[in-house]
Order: sequence, then C-alpha cells, then structure tokens
Amino acid sequence: MSGLERRDFLKVLGVGGAGAAVTGCSTDEVERLIPYVVPPEEITPGVATWYASTCGECPSGCGIRVRTREGRAVMIEGNPDHPVSRGGLCSRGVSALQGLYTADRKVLATPLRAGSDGFEPIGWDEALQLLASRLDGGGRSIFLTGPKGPTESALLDEFMEAVGGQRVVHDALDDTALRAAVNIAFGVNTLPRYEIAAARFLVSFGADFLETWLSPVKFAADFAEMHGVDHGEKGRFVFVGPRLSLTGQNADEWIPARAGSEAHIALAVAGELVRRGADAGPYGEVVRGYGLEDAAEAAGIETEALQSLADHFAEGDALALGPGLAGNHQAATAANLAVLVLNAAAGSLGNTMHIETAPADRPSSFRDMANAIAQMGAGSYGVAVVSGTNPAYTLPPGAGFADAFGAVPFKVAFATTLDETAAMADLVLPDTHPLESWGDSRPGPGTYAVRQPVMRPVPLFESRAMADVLIETGQRLGQDFGAASFREYLRAAFNGWLARDGMRTGLAGDPNRVWRDLLREGSVTHVDLSDRVTSLQPPMTAVDFDAPGVAGSGNGELTLLVYPSPRFGDGTHANRPWLQELPDPVSKVMWHSWVEMNPATAERLGLVRGDIVSVETAEGAVEVPVWPYPGIREDVIAIAMGGGHTAYGQFADGNGVNPMGLLSAASDADSGTLALIAAGATVTATGAWQRLVTNEGSSDQDNRNVAPALALSALGHAAEEEHAEEGGHGQLRELQEMGGFRPVETEGRAEDFPLPGSDFGPYADEHPRWAMAMDLDRCTGCSACVTACQAENNIPWVNENQAVIGREMHWLRLERYYETVDASHSGPVDVRFLPMLCQHCNNAPCEPVCPVFAAYHTPDGLNAQAYNRCVGTRYCANNCPYKVRVFNWYRYTMDPSEGGNIPEPMNWQFNPDVTVRNNGVMEKCTFCVQRIREAQNRAAIEGREVRDGEVHTACQSVCPAGVITFGNIRDHDSEVAALAEDERTYRVLDALINTQPAVHYLKKVTHHDVEDGGH
Amino acid sequence: MATAELRERGALPNPDVGTYAEVNQDILKVLGRPGRGWWMLFGIAAAGVGLFLTCWFWQIYKGIGVSGLNAPVGWGVYITTFVFWVGIAHSGTLISAILFLFRAPWRQAIYRASEAMTVFAVMTAGLFPLIHVGRVWHAYWLVPYPNDRFLWPNFRSPLVWDVFAITTYFTVSAVFFYLGTIPDLAAARDHARGLRRKFYQIISLGWRGTDREWHHFSKAYIYLAALATPLVLSVHSVVSWDFAMGIVPGWHTTIFAPYFVAGAIFSGVALVITLAVPMRKFFGLQKYLTVKHFEAMAKLCMLTSAIVLYAYLTEYFLAWYSGEPPERGSFWNRAFGHYWWANWIMLTCNGLIPLMLWFRRVRRSISALFVISIFINIGMWFERFVIIVTSLSHEYEPWAWGLYRPSVIEMGILIGSFCWFGFWFLLFTRLLPPVAIAEMKEVVPPPLRGSKEAAS
Repeated sequence: MSGLERRDFLKVLGVGGAGAAVTGCSTDEVERLIPYVVPPEEITPGVATWYASTCGECPSGCGIRVRTREGRAVMIEGNPDHPVSRGGLCSRGVSALQGLYTADRKVLATPLRAGSDGFEPIGWDEALQLLASRLDGGGRSIFLTGPKGPTESALLDEFMEAVGGQRVVHDALDDTALRAAVNIAFGVNTLPRYEIAAARFLVSFGADFLETWLSPVKFAADFAEMHGVDHGEKGRFVFVGPRLSLTGQNADEWIPARAGSEAHIALAVAGELVRRGADAGPYGEVVRGYGLEDAAEAAGIETEALQSLADHFAEGDALALGPGLAGNHQAATAANLAVLVLNAAAGSLGNTMHIETAPADRPSSFRDMANAIAQMGAGSYGVAVVSGTNPAYTLPPGAGFADAFGAVPFKVAFATTLDETAAMADLVLPDTHPLESWGDSRPGPGTYAVRQPVMRPVPLFESRAMADVLIETGQRLGQDFGAASFREYLRAAFNGWLARDGMRTGLAGDPNRVWRDLLREGSVTHVDLSDRVTSLQPPMTAVDFDAPGVAGSGNGELTLLVYPSPRFGDGTHANRPWLQELPDPVSKVMWHSWVEMNPATAERLGLVRGDIVSVETAEGAVEVPVWPYPGIREDVIAIAMGGGHTAYGQFADGNGVNPMGLLSAASDADSGTLALIAAGATVTATGAWQRLVTNEGSSDQDNRNVAPALALSALGHAAEEEHAEEGGHGQLRELQEMGGFRPVETEGRAEDFPLPGSDFGPYADEHPRWAMAMDLDRCTGCSACVTACQAENNIPWVNENQAVIGREMHWLRLERYYETVDASHSGPVDVRFLPMLCQHCNNAPCEPVCPVFAAYHTPDGLNAQAYNRCVGTRYCANNCPYKVRVFNWYRYTMDPSEGGNIPEPMNWQFNPDVTVRNNGVMEKCTFCVQRIREAQNRAAIEGREVRDGEVHTACQSVCPAGVITFGNIRDHDSEVAALAEDERTYRVLDALINTQPAVHYLKKVTHHDVEDGGH
Repeated sequence: MATAELRERGALPNPDVGTYAEVNQDILKVLGRPGRGWWMLFGIAAAGVGLFLTCWFWQIYKGIGVSGLNAPVGWGVYITTFVFWVGIAHSGTLISAILFLFRAPWRQAIYRASEAMTVFAVMTAGLFPLIHVGRVWHAYWLVPYPNDRFLWPNFRSPLVWDVFAITTYFTVSAVFFYLGTIPDLAAARDHARGLRRKFYQIISLGWRGTDREWHHFSKAYIYLAALATPLVLSVHSVVSWDFAMGIVPGWHTTIFAPYFVAGAIFSGVALVITLAVPMRKFFGLQKYLTVKHFEAMAKLCMLTSAIVLYAYLTEYFLAWYSGEPPERGSFWNRAFGHYWWANWIMLTCNGLIPLMLWFRRVRRSISALFVISIFINIGMWFERFVIIVTSLSHEYEPWAWGLYRPSVIEMGILIGSFCWFGFWFLLFTRLLPPVAIAEMKEVVPPPLRGSKEAAS
C-alpha cells in the first residue's frame, strides 16, 4: 500500500472529526432550535408557560391566557379568573395570534419612509429623528387613534399636550349615541352597565350584543345564564328589528320592525307601562303620547306583539338593550334615549341596568372626526399621526378623509401592518402587537386589568411599542414623562392609583405584591368607587323623538343596513385568514361579501342565491352576490362591514366589498354618530352568478332531527311523552307489519337508545372514557370554538378557491338550521345551532373501513387517526355519517414557496404538541388528545387520578356561554356523566344508525311548542 | 351432430369455412403488417396513455386536490371508473370460463377477444385505486407483508378485500388467457417469419400439438375455467361491498352483490359487442363472428339489463319502504336532485334502450347492436357515478351536503384510461390471434386422409 500510512489515516480522521465536532457546536444552529440563548429560568423546553393578559382586539378588554412554548405564543384562551369575560373569548380574540405572526408584518419590518417610488426602509434612529424634528417645528399636530387603554390614553394626552396638538379618537363601531343618550337621560357621560343575567325578560332593539356590541363575550356569558334552561325555567328574549343578526337568531320571538322604528316602539311600550301605572319620571308625559297602535303602524308590525311586549315588561325583571349600531341612523340618540326611558319605566334601572358615575374612557364620535377632517383639509395641521384606527377605510368616502389627510404635510402612522390609512403616510413606524406590548384596561367598574407582553417582539420585525416610541420622542424633544419606558410609566401610574385609592378600594398592601398578583391573574377586582344614578333626570337637551331616523323608509324602496361583521368588526380583523375562512355566523359565507335579502324580495327581483347584483345608493354602487335570508324584512337589504380592503395585506385585499362606499356622511344630530342606514337603495342584476363560498349544505334538517328541541312546557314530561308515542310509531310500523315484518323489539327502536352500556364502549373498566356534553340551549352560534380549534390543532386555512368546493379543514363546524324564521309577521323564531365535531363513536363507522388501521379506537374511547399510517383512501370520510373528517388535498400547511398556504412566520403559531399534517392524509378532531395526555402525565407525576374538569378542550376553553363540558363519562360523579343522563340529552343519529357517539347534546328548549321528533 | 344442426346452434361459424388451413389463413392474416388505420388508432391510444401518465404524475406531484373531490364527496370519477373497468372485466371470464363449462359453443368465436379485454380491463381497473389514494407511495401498506413493525392491514376493511379480489382476478384471468392462447401462438409461430417467429417461438413455449400436450392442455384449461368461474361472481361482489359495507344511504343494501355482478356482465358483454363489431369488419372475420354470436350476446344483455333494472326499482322501493328519512332523501335526491340527469342517463341507457333487444330484428342487426352497446357502456359508467357521487353528496347530515364536479385532470385520467385499455387491445389484435384458432377448428369437419384439405 502506498500513499496513505495507517498513522496518517488516523491523523486525518482525528482532525476531521474535531473539525466536525467544532462545527457542530456553532451557536447559530442552537439558536434556530430554541429562540433564546440564555433560557429564562421559568421556561422549560417542552413545557408550556401561560401568561395572563388582556385581549387587545376590541375595546371590551376580555381577559386572556396565552399559552407560550419556548418563547412563542401558540394559543389564546379565555381567562376564567377575569371578572368580565369569565373564561370566554371570541374568534377575533383567538385570531390575535394571526395578527401577531402575520406575514403582512414583513412589509413593515423596519420603519418606512415614503419616497418618490413607494416606501423605503430606514433605521429607527433616522425615523425617530425625523419624527421629532417634524413634531418640533412642523406646525400643530393631530393624533388620530382608536380606542386605547386608560394609561396609554393618559400618555397620549400628555404627549399631545407636550407637542402642542389635539387627539381625536375614531372607532367605526362607536357608542356615541348611547353615551349621548345616557348623558341626556342621567346627566352622566358614561355607558350603562347591563346585568343581563339578572333579567328574566330581555328585549334587544337590534343591538347585536352577542357579536360586536359593547362587550359581546361578557354578554354571551350573561345571556347563557339568563336564557339557558335551569331547573325548568328560562328567560325569554325578544328581538326587535328589521334583520335577525346572530343575536336575533338566538331570540325566542322576533318582531320584525321597520328600520328606524325603535324609538316609537320603545316609547309606546313605555307609554303603555305608564298608562298601567309605571313611573317614567320626567318622561312620563312624553311617553303617554305614544300609543301601541301608532307604533305598530309606524313599525309595520302587529299591535298584539307590542301588547305582549308590554305585558312582559310589566312582570318586572326586564331589560331592554340597544339599539346599538342597528340604530345608528339620523335619530340615533333619540332611539337610544327611548330605550333607556323604557328601561326606567319598566323598573330596570338599578335592577338590570346600572348607571355608574365613573368616568369612562374618552369617547369617539364621527362628529369629532368630521371636524378634524375639516381642519386637516383647511391646512390647520402640519403633522398628523395615526394609530390603531383606519379612517381611510372605515369612513364613507363622502366624509372626505382621504383628501384632507393627504393634504397634511407630514403624516405618521404607527401600525403593525400597513392598512389603507398607513399606506398614505410619509413615515410608518412598526408598532408592536398587543401580545408583545404593555397596556391596561378598565373593562368594568371595580376591575383593573393589565396587558403584558407574552413574548419578545417577533424577531423578524424591528417593531417597537408606540408608547415607548412616544416616550423616547418626548425625550428627544426635551419632554420627560417620568419614565424611560411605557412599562415604567404604566407601573408608576398603577402605583400612583394604589397610593391614592388603594385603601378605599381594598387593594392596600405591598404594591409589588399587588402588581405580581396582577400579572399572574391578569386582573384585580376591587371595591367600586363610583356612584350610581337611580332615576331619570329632566332632559337637558330637547330630543326630537319623532324625527325620522331613516328618511324615506317604508315607502316600498329598499333600505340598506350596513352592520358590523361578527368576524371582522369594522374591518380591522379582515386580514386574518382564520377569520376570512370562518363561516360567518349568520350567512355561513367565507372569504367574500354578500347582500342579505328576503327570499320574497329576491323572487320579486328575479334573483337567486349567488346572483351578482349591483347595489346602488346615491353615494355609490357595489357588486355583490345575493344571499337570500328569511331573517330579514322584505323592505331591507344588508351588507356587512369588513370586505373590500385595498391595502390591508394579502389576506384581506380584494375579498368582498366595502359597504361604506354606499353611505353618505350623514350623522345623528344629537350625538354626531355616523348613520349606517341608507334609504333608497336599488338592486339590479348584473347577469353574473357565483357559487357562494359556504359550508352550508342545507339549513333544513329534512326530517332527520339532528338538532331537536324541547318545549319548555314539555320539560319534565319528556319521558312520559316518549312513552305515549310508543304506540303510535304509526305508519312505518303498520307498513312493516303489513309486509309480514315485525320490528325488532329489543334493539333498533328510537326509544331503546342509547343502548345499555353504549356510553362506555368496548374496553375494560380501568380506562377512562372521554366524552363531551354540549348544551344547545346555551349555544349562541358565535363560532369562537371553531377558531380556537383551528389555533390549537394546527388546522390550515385553504383559501377561497378551495373553500368554494368544500375543502375547508375545520375539525369543528357550527351548523345552523332554520326551524321557524319568518319576517312577514311577529312571532316565534327558532334557529338551531349544532356544533359538529368528531363524535368519537363507540361504534365508529370510520374505523372498520380503513384498510390500514389509520383510523382506530384507543382504549380510552378516542376515535384516533394515525396520520403517518394514512394512505388517503378517504373511505373513512365517506362512511362518517357526521362528515367531520377532513382531508389534506394539498400541502396546505407548508410555506407558499413549497406549494402551501402558511407563510413564515405564521407557522410559528403551530402548536408543537400537535402534528402538522401534510399532503394526502385524513385528519379530524382528536378531543384535544394532547391536552388529555398532558393532564394524565401531570396526574401521574403527582400520583393521583385526573380530576373531573381538569382537561379542557380548546373549544371549551373559549366558549363564553359554557356550552361544552368534557370529562370521563365512566366516572359516575363527573359532570359529563350527569349531563349524559339529563332528560334533554340526545346523541345525533344514534337511534338511526347506532353509532353510540361520545358527544351528548342537550336539546334546545323553546318557549313555543315544538314537535320533538327526538331520536 | 349434423352440420346443419350445429350451424343452427351457432357452433358452426359459416358454411364457407371448410378447412383448417382456411381458419389459419383467415385469422393469422390479421397478425400481418398493420395498416394506416391501425397506426392511427394506435397513435391516438399512445397519446392518450401519455395524457394519462402526465395527469397522474401531476396529481402525485401536486396532491389529490387537482381532482374535484371534496368533503362530502370523497370518491368520484376515479372510483366510478375503477368499478366500470372491473365490471368490464367480468364478461371475459364469463364467456371463456363459464360458458366453456356450460358447453355453449357460440363462445368460441369471441372468447379470445373478451378474455384479452378482461385482462386489459383489470390492468386498467387496478390502476385506479392507486390513482385515487392521497399517498400512492404508501399504497403497498394495503398488502399484507411481514414487517418489523408488526403492522398488518385491517382485514375488516372492504378495501383490503379489494386488493385480494383484484390481484387474484388479474392473476387467474391472465394465466387463463395465456394458457388458452398457447396452441394459437404455435400456429402463429408456424405462420410467421423472422423476428416475429422468434417472438412466437418463445411465448408459445415450444408447443407442438402432440396428443400428450393436448391432453394436458384441455385438463389444465378445464381446471382453470373451474377456478375462474367463482371469481366472476366473487370479485364483483367484493367490489360491490366497498359500497354495501358502508353505511352511506344509497350504498348500504344487501342486493348490491348480485346487482353488481349482473351489471358487470351487462357492461362487459356490451363492451365485447362494441369491440367485436369493428374487429369483425376491419379484419374481415365475418365468417367467424356471425350474427348468431351477436344475437347470443344480445340475449345475455337482455337478461342482465332486466336484472339491473329490477335492482334499480327495488332500491327505490326499499328506500320508500324503510321509512328512514336519510334513505328516502337519498333516493329522492337521486331522481330529482342536482345529479338527476346522471340518474336518468343511467335508467335510459341501462333500462329502457336495451328493451329494444327484445325484438329479434334488433338483436340480429349488427349496427343496431353496436349503437345500443355504446349506450350501455355510457349508462353503466353513469350507474357507478350515480351510486358513488349522488349518494355521497346527500348523506345523513343535511348541513354537510355538498356537490362535486370532476376536474380537468380527472377527465384526462378517465379518457386516458380508455386509451390505456385501447393501447393494449390494439397491440393484442396485432400480436395475438384475436379469434381462437384451435377452437374454431374444433367445429370444422376434420380433414380426411386423401382429401384436398389434408394436404395443408
């Protein structure tokens, strides 16, 4: 052998090996695996850390718990310790994760300066220098913000005072009219505090309190408490208004009153109460002048319906809500005031409705904004700063914002992603997301809540919190806010409040301890210091109750309602693909806009579902497909806000239409709130048609009784009735006997189900049997569970072109069946919601058909799916009667460069405890098996059994209405075992095909009589 | 048996066929140099195979999403076409094996072509389960093989039964087909020259036509026929259980096995007619494929058409009689729902049009049979489409009802599958004797010593 000696060989081997070892120690590689070099003590890789914080998606200020893994937020749930939201959350709240990681932030990874050809990235130092110099010598400045927390507001005001300027709050979903009405009625500038749970009779004059109005998560919990059947009783809810929103679909009765007729109805009912002896204080004389018949005539409804309303109000414990944004017309304040007067006359004040004197946050109003626009247009300002609001999109073009804003010499935007307004700015500063920022909130009297960063700002973007930037800019301008960062500022403000009010509020003690508790719990409750107003004040301002809210309504023309979307609000959340693909709770449409129209109106106009029409008003026109909806009056059409973005990132732009273009800049005279109702809309067919992107197969149960109901009067007698029915299985039995067949007596009959032992499945007793109960009487159809499931389980969105052919991947969907929805007259409304997920059948049809055992049954009753074993025959999905199995038709979970949908860093949100599925495999609900195993591991380590209620599925952990109960049904003391025995309990399709599901539904309970075909 | 009587029974092809030599001559001339027409057809078929493979590879590359499948319709054109081709495959074995055992002499002229059709149809059908799965690279997991993970397929799943049924059927029908061809290959060998001769030499396995060989041959043929016969019934029964074992309304019914077997024979015989008519014309086989043969096949169609029509009506009756809303809803939807047209195409093509076969004149008209057979082929494809797609689109949960529309890729693969089948069939017509020479000779008067015929 020549050339290589044995020794040389060993030398080479040694050196090479050492080289490889040295390379292997490179710190870069390690950083890619774990996003911090020096791990914080409290973080163990592989174990989740939870942070309590406050949701920043809307001004309600719900409490959240954010689950982080290795320094990344992966899931948001409701915080059960929070006094306002009490463990609930909405889809928008969960979607904050997508706001945090959205790929749209890449555009705004550094500060941007507008150059001759678009934005150019600049450094923070240069940006701050520019900002400071313009604020210093650029003329008066104006700061347009959305609603901000109390301390951030204080800083903003302090800042604007320092730089010499004005701050205007703009929220497209403002509550100015209600605030103005409260001010007129009670002399306090605040919002009423409603105690829905204390009411037995609830009326909403159009307010969508379960969707966007004030504090929908809190209201959903309250409503479930008030309306969910309990010991044979349940409250009654009447919805008054031209269009059934999701809130309306939850009503027991619908009075389909004309748009703009709220004031008349409320005053007439109040008048009736006064005529019967109630006290309406200084408004007594006013309301006496309103008769039920006139009101009924004006509203286009039956007098009897109003009579019945008055009867119920007279029984006490009633509450009238609204009209919310559904009453944002040109007599909005009068409408709000009328409802407040009705509450006072019905004795609700101090009972179910409270007026506290605590000063609320600075209100926003369209009038302030209109003034600001006028001044900007007149050149009064040298600098305009925008943060957290998008008036270029949310205001009608007629308001002239774009021109006026464009005329300001120097425009600055703080934003996490570009939007229509930020895109017009000269300087855009990347703001941190609420999940990365400090902040606080006072979501109700006696509650203070903190927002804390749950992770370091996503390192791909050089974002900085606006409040920190303001403090630093102040320093550059020689202003000292007494803190080096907003965190210190917030802490100082809190300590100041503690020092001032700590004793009186019961929060005395070591401020550090209080602060630590606050960070751990997310909020503190304390003694409420505000005073309560207990009676109506004589009106300070004269309000014209007879002014028409909607000009020209009722004369046969169509009236257009523009309403806030339950998914997108005013459009702020339209850049979240989860929400784009979340079927709208009412229409079940995804990804695009639609116009709601009564089927009779559609027929009259010769239109069918999906026909693209041009909706025109004096202000403009949009082309949008028709969605016929029996829950809307024949003289009304409606379009949701939130569509038609033009510069709001890849997931929002071009989806749907923006109805604001159809509105004029008309406003209510008393409060200055923008009118969202336009009379004189016309609808013309364009001849085009599109298939609506929807998951709605049929909204008719077609006699299958998958969502049966029980009349309240039948409650407690359900068992007897079934017995009585037994003799009369009628026609079928007769036919069978005629043919010589005898129905099997011991099995297969509806009344034999569930079969004995079918709750537990085939395995031996030492295993638990996980099961779920869903109380459909409490479900409001809000669909928060759908988004939570998507976030927890790494479920990709599939985009419009896939969703339109039925390929959306949701493991949980919210079915909505119409039983009784009739806009032609007042009467019962009955819409059934059915959250449908894998039923984890004991006798699962999907399991035997899988050729490779990818679908199999675990000993603890789960119907599991081994993704790695799946070949993709799809037989399981075909054989699943509930159709809850979804298939990966493409590589949806990959990056777009690899043919997927999820761009970096949106995949950072993936839950590391859940497999990310790839092309060609079937997947489905797992009952959040990762959470079950986590609880089991914890119990094993602690040497105990898993406690009842210890495992919360993701859907359960956001449900505001407490619909979902999860646990081990084999444990006879568990809550789910008790619910499984409830007289309302049924299992979908079980009696028909003996699937023996583990999901037990509790029937909805109605006030009106229903046919319970109940299987 | 008198010649006249044999002729009347269809056992004698034509009084014109007088000698063995003539039989050899007439049939083997087909194997000569192909003409322009053949090349054109072959070119089209080869292009179609290219289309087929392109579509399939694109689908593997992108994902099964390139089809129009969705939730709730997880099976569509692929499985429809799978069942269609499995069905087609059945007539071959029926004609060659069952009719052989039952001594039906009219089969002799057509059995070779129908056997070839069987083999190629199974080859086509067998691709579809591979085409339709999400991860074809793991499809071998359906096969039970010892592995260190101790993982076996789920023997309760009808899809695993399918794997056995299809592979068994392919093996048996291919062996049966090949075995039956051997004497004819030898004849072709003796007839051919050059490279072709070499080819036939190899594949005829050195057949010399000795008594011993014939003795073994006929024994083996009978055994294989006996083995293949139950397969005709079992394979399509198993395929029908893919559906009947599911709980989908419209699938879950006990009549599926006989109904599918009848449908398979129906469609298979129809395709034999469709293929035999042009073969007869282009290759000048009028002497061997006579009206008698076509009439016999038409009678078979008549019978099976009546059975499937009865099955269709029974399904409707049972849906109504069950009283179950999902079952009733499914059939209401089948008749009047979104896919009503598919249902009515099926009923018209399979139930109504074949009623014309009850007229003797129609049965004896080759052109009428050709047209009717094409209708039957269309109708039988739609039958499977109706069963699969319509039922899946309208199951138990009303909210989950949905629609399905085949994509361009699926249509490409559907068309490609016909080309794939045609590709093999065209090769067959040029490489193997399309009519069984040896069996045709059985009904020709044997050559007598000293006669003119004995010379050849």
